[in-house]
Amino acid sequence: MAEALLEVRNISKAYIGVQALDDFSITICEGEVHCLVGENGSGKSTLIKSISGAVQPDAGEIVIDGTSYGTSITAIDAIRQGIEVIYQDLSLFPNLTVAENISLTGFIEEGKRLTNWKRVREIAVQTLSQLEEEIDVELPLDRLSMAQRQIVAISRALTKGARLIIMDEPTTAITAEDVARLFNVVRRLNARGVSMLFVSHKLDEVFQIADTVTVVRDGKKVGDYDAKSLDETELTYLMTGEMLEYKPFEFDPEGEGARSLLEARGLSRENQYEGIDLAIHAGEVVGLTGLVGSGRTELALSLFGMTLPDSGEILFEGTPVKMRGPEDAKRLGISYLPEDRHGQGLFEDQTIADNIVITVVDRMKRFFGIIDNNKRVDTWRSWIEKLKIKTPSALHAVSTLSGGNQQRVVLAKWLAPEPKVFLIDGPTIGVDVLSKARIHDVIQDLARAGMGVLLISDEVSEIMQVCSRALIMRRGRLVAEFRNLRSIDEAEIQAVVAEPDTSEEAS
Amino acid sequence: MKRPKTFINRVLHRHETYLTLIIILFSVVTANVAPAFLTAGNILSLLRGGAGLGLLSLAFFVALISGGIDISFPAIAISAQYITVRTMLAIDVNSLVFAFVLASAIGIVYGLINAFLITRFKLPALIVTLGTSNLYHGGLLQFLGTESVNVGGLPTAFSDFGRMSLFQISTEQGTLGISLFFVIFVIAIVLTWFILRHTMLGRGIYAIGGDEEAARRAGFNVSRIQYFIYAYVGFLSAIMGIIHVSMIQYANPTNIVGTILLRVIAAVILGGTSISGGRGTVTGTLLGFVLIVLIDRHLIMLGVPAEWTDFFVGIVIVLGVLATHIRLRLERKRLGELVVERAH
Repeated sequence: MAEALLEVRNISKAYIGVQALDDFSITICEGEVHCLVGENGSGKSTLIKSISGAVQPDAGEIVIDGTSYGTSITAIDAIRQGIEVIYQDLSLFPNLTVAENISLTGFIEEGKRLTNWKRVREIAVQTLSQLEEEIDVELPLDRLSMAQRQIVAISRALTKGARLIIMDEPTTAITAEDVARLFNVVRRLNARGVSMLFVSHKLDEVFQIADTVTVVRDGKKVGDYDAKSLDETELTYLMTGEMLEYKPFEFDPEGEGARSLLEARGLSRENQYEGIDLAIHAGEVVGLTGLVGSGRTELALSLFGMTLPDSGEILFEGTPVKMRGPEDAKRLGISYLPEDRHGQGLFEDQTIADNIVITVVDRMKRFFGIIDNNKRVDTWRSWIEKLKIKTPSALHAVSTLSGGNQQRVVLAKWLAPEPKVFLIDGPTIGVDVLSKARIHDVIQDLARAGMGVLLISDEVSEIMQVCSRALIMRRGRLVAEFRNLRSIDEAEIQAVVAEPDTSEEAS
Repeated sequence: MKRPKTFINRVLHRHETYLTLIIILFSVVTANVAPAFLTAGNILSLLRGGAGLGLLSLAFFVALISGGIDISFPAIAISAQYITVRTMLAIDVNSLVFAFVLASAIGIVYGLINAFLITRFKLPALIVTLGTSNLYHGGLLQFLGTESVNVGGLPTAFSDFGRMSLFQISTEQGTLGISLFFVIFVIAIVLTWFILRHTMLGRGIYAIGGDEEAARRAGFNVSRIQYFIYAYVGFLSAIMGIIHVSMIQYANPTNIVGTILLRVIAAVILGGTSISGGRGTVTGTLLGFVLIVLIDRHLIMLGVPAEWTDFFVGIVIVLGVLATHIRLRLERKRLGELVVERAH
C-alpha cells in the first residue's frame, strides 16, 4: 500500500436542515486514481469544498501527510500542500492566452508585481509538454475546445506543484472522444506520481479510469471498492440503493403488424449526410449513434423539418411529405427533443407549467385567441404526474429543479402535443443514474403505447439498454445496423462507431 | 492541420488594422478637399486640443477592460478643476504643482468613493457611477455655486501652463511647438500601457474582466484591483480637468459634463474594446480616439455643416460596432468549420 496523501476522517457537515455529509471518511494514496461516485445531491460537492477549505465541516478532521488540520483547513493550506481542485467551470480566463492561464496564478503566489512574458510562455510550454499535449500557448483561451481547456486547467494546477488534483464532474460537458483524450492525460499524470480524485456519476468512465472507488449516498459513505472487483450493475446498486434492471426493448420491425411511421429514402444533404435509408415503426425504439460530426444530429434536424435535404424523400405513414419547417413536422405529429437542453429546450426562468404547455398553447385558444386556462392547467398537471416530476409547485421556475427533473420537463414539453414520432437527441446528458433509468422507462412506455422513437445518443451503453435496434452513423453515412441487442457485446458496436476515424486521427 | 500563421495574416485579422486604414482614408480625403488639414499648425493644434479627450478615453478604457464602467469621469473632471481653481483663489496660491496635487487628490478620492460603493456593496458599476456622477456635480453646484471664473480672475499658472510647449519654432503664422498637454497625454499612454501589459495589477484587470470569480479563485485581490481602477479613472479625469481649464482659460462648473461622455464612449468602443469587459488594447483605444477627433474637427473642412457632426459621429459608431460584430461572427464561423473539419 502506498502512503496516504490525504485522509478525511469522519467529517460531518449540515446546512440548514440538511445533513450534507454524515460521518464520512475517505483516504487517497499517493499516485492513485480515486473515483468518488454518488448521485446528484449525495454530498460530493460538500466533500470537495471541505477538502479545499471552501467549507468548514462541523466535525471530523482532515489529515495531509500525517499532519492533522482538524476541521479548519484553509484554502491556502490546501494549495500549499499540493491539493488543487478543478471545478466544473474550470475557473479559467476566456480572454487571456493559454500561456497566461497556465502561468499567472504561480506569479501571484510568488507575490510578483511585474509579469515576465518570457517566463509566462516558458512555464506554459514546459508544463504542456509534460502532459505531451500540443496547444498553441499564444491563443486566447476561448479559441480552445472544452477538452483543451480542461488540459489548460490541469496544467495550471501542475504549475502550482499539485500532488492531488480533484476534478469535479469533468466529463459532463465534453464528447466521448474528448473524454478519451482527458483520460490519457490523467494516466500520464498518474505515471508521474500525481494522485487524482475524480468526482463523477458516469459509471462507464469510472471503470475506465479508477483504481479505487468510494461510493457516497445521502452524505454517508457506502464503502471503498477496488474498481476491478465491481461491475456496473453492482455499482449502480451501491449508488442508488435500488436494483436497476436493464431491459432491452423487444420489437421486430419485419414482424406482422409492424407499421412504418417515419421513413427516409436515399436522404442526402451536402456535407452532412448521404444516402440515408431508415424507418421508424410504431412501437419501436430505434437507437442512433456515431461520433460528433458523424451527421446524426444533422439527420435528425432534417427529419424534423429544420433543414431541407438536398435529395431523397421522407415518408410519413407511407405517404411522401415535404416539410418546409418544424411547423410542418409538428403538424404531422413529429416532436424533436434537442441535444442542448439549456440552449434550445427550456426557458429556465419561467415556470414548469409554462414550459410544459408552450408547445400546445395554440391548441388551447378560444375566441379572439384567449387561452383556455382549464385546459392549460389540466395539461401540465397530467404531465407532471405522468413523468413524476418532483417539485413542490408547478409554478416554480424550471431553474429550481435538479438536472433529472429538468430533463423530464423537457420531455413533457415535447410530449404534450402527443406526437406519433419522437426524435430524442441526448436525453440523459448530465443526468444521474437513477433519473436516467426513470427517463429510459418513460421512453420505453411511450413506445409500448405505440409511439415511434428515435433515440440519438453518444453512449453506446445507453442505446443498448433502451433500444430494440441500433443504427451507426459514420461520416454522414449509415454504416451498420444491430438487432437483438441483448446478444451483442457493447465493445463490438463501439468498435464500429470509432473504427476509421481513430486511425486517421493518429496519423 | 495547422494553418501557417504569417505576420501578414495576423495583421490582417486585427481590428487595429482596419481602424488605421479608415483613419488614413479619412485623412487623405480631407487633405485633398482641404489643404489646411495637413499643415503643421493644424496637426499641432489637434494634438493640443485632443489631449483631454485622450486622457478620458484611456480612463474609460481601463474601467471597461475590468468588466466595470465609470461614467462619472466628466463630473470628476469638472469637480477637480473647479474646486482646485476656487481653492487657489480663496487661499491666494498661484502654483501649477499645487493645482495638480489638489486636483489629483480630489479625483482619486472621488474614484475611491466609486470603488467603495462598487466593491463593498457589490453594486453594478453603471448604476453607482450614474449616481455619484450626479452627486459629485450636483454637490459642486450646490456648495460652490455656479459662478464662472474668467481669464482675468484665473491664477496665471494655468495660462502659463497652456502656453508651454517643447521644441518651439517661430514661423510667420506664430510660434509652433508640441504642447505640454500632449506630452502629458503621451506619458499617460505609456503608463497605462505599462500597467496593463507588464504588471500583475494590469493582468488582474484583464482577468477580472474575463471572469471575476475565477480571478478571485486564482488569488487576485479583486477589490484592491477595483479600488485602483476607479482611483486611476479619477486621477486621469482630474488631470484632464486641469488641462481643460488651462486650455480655454475659463472655469465654469457646468463645463465638460455634456457631450464629452458620448465622445469618449464612442472612441473606446470604436477602438474595439468589448463592452462586457476583458478584451481591448491601448492601441485600439488610441486609434478610436484619433478617429473621433478627426471626425469631430474636420467634417467642417469637408463641407459638412457643424450641426451635422453629432449625426455623423452617430453613424460612425453604429457602423463601427456593426463591423466589429460581423468580423467576430465570421471569425467564429471559421473556427466552427475548423472543429467540424477535425471531427470528420
